[in-house]
Amino acid sequence: MDAKDLQELLKLISRLEFSEFSMREGDFRLTVRGKHYNQGQQVVLSGVPTQVTTAPSAVPAAAPFAAAPAPAATAPAVTPAATATAASDDSRYVAIKSPIVGTFYRSPGPDKPVFVKVGDKVSPGMVVCIVEAMKLFNEIEADITGTVVKALIEDGSPVEYDQVLYLIDPKG
Amino acid sequence: MPINTLFVGKVLLAFEELPSTNAYAQELLATSKPIEGTVITAVQQPAGRGQHGSSWESEAGKNLTCSFILHPGFLPAAQHFALNKAVSLAVRDTVAHFCNDHVVKIKWPNDIYIGDAKTCGILIQNTLQRGALGTSIVGIGLNVNQASFSDWIPNPTSLLMANGLENDPMVVLAHLCQNLEARYLKLKAGKQTEMDQTYLQQLYRFQEISIFQRPNGEILAGKIIGVDPIGKLMVQFDEWTESFDLKEIKLVVSG
Repeated sequence: MDAKDLQELLKLISRLEFSEFSMREGDFRLTVRGKHYNQGQQVVLSGVPTQVTTAPSAVPAAAPFAAAPAPAATAPAVTPAATATAASDDSRYVAIKSPIVGTFYRSPGPDKPVFVKVGDKVSPGMVVCIVEAMKLFNEIEADITGTVVKALIEDGSPVEYDQVLYLIDPKG
Repeated sequence: MPINTLFVGKVLLAFEELPSTNAYAQELLATSKPIEGTVITAVQQPAGRGQHGSSWESEAGKNLTCSFILHPGFLPAAQHFALNKAVSLAVRDTVAHFCNDHVVKIKWPNDIYIGDAKTCGILIQNTLQRGALGTSIVGIGLNVNQASFSDWIPNPTSLLMANGLENDPMVVLAHLCQNLEARYLKLKAGKQTEMDQTYLQQLYRFQEISIFQRPNGEILAGKIIGVDPIGKLMVQFDEWTESFDLKEIKLVVSG
């Protein structure tokens, strides 16, 4: 992959709203996470590209993306982008996910302090948020010990089943 | 009147005044291990709660304001709305005992209506642990002997206003304990299909043409045809069917 290919690829990526995209072929590994990922967009490139092999779960236009780059590669390896560390960091965090569909509340009431914020310690049984569904208020309890490193949902936002609410560093 | 039950109401904590019976129940759960079926009542409840942030008005001594502590650990988180059905049916059964049965309905998801007016509100607070329900606080505000309400309350009524008779709130509570235990045990026994059907049979405006309003003000005519497993209201319009969250639709009550 030469500089021009890379530029084309980045241009394309910036236009798409990926929430996650990853590909791997031999030594080549590419991870893209788009707008809905709290880290913002990030691209991790390493190794020698050949062609797109996986276009998983992700959102709108996996097909055009797959069709676009994929040059027969002879170019030297691209050094990993600076954000690569951030991506591998996340993998050691444990997610607290929503067990139900509903509306997410970070505090027990409009004028009350939040249950937990980034930097707080959590332990099993500790309430981390409320998910309200059809007038039933469900306090979600942590099932692990660790430190909150990310709070991903805005107060009052809708959440889906299994959506990640918090990232917890179990070693923190 | 004795409370004739196995566990609901066997521990009854009756207070002259509490800020909120639900809040007291929460405190109790945080500091001790109250047995399942514990009931907390308050003659006066100045900080009674409705939905997130809204309040519940009740004239001192006139009504029933109480909270039940349950441990529905047998219910997966995904089925938490089933608990709402069991509770709503129990309260409906109770109100129906004191009124003309067939005019007492559940307005989705859990208000109890006599005719077109609200006589009872329910506020359920669960804890979810490892994908299942942990503890549940079922708060109930049931208008018993109140004869007039503040103007800001949209369409209130009470047992007294509905049938002209005064009732002892503690007698109403005894009935409620029995009905709640009966419905709860059915839920525990896995009789959900039966309960789903009964809930629909007792649903206010079920299968009747009604007026609905979207949050953007749009007015639509449609009829309630069901409630989906997570509790959303299913409404059939002329050419389509739609499921709604509580905040996505309002049933316009002509009362």
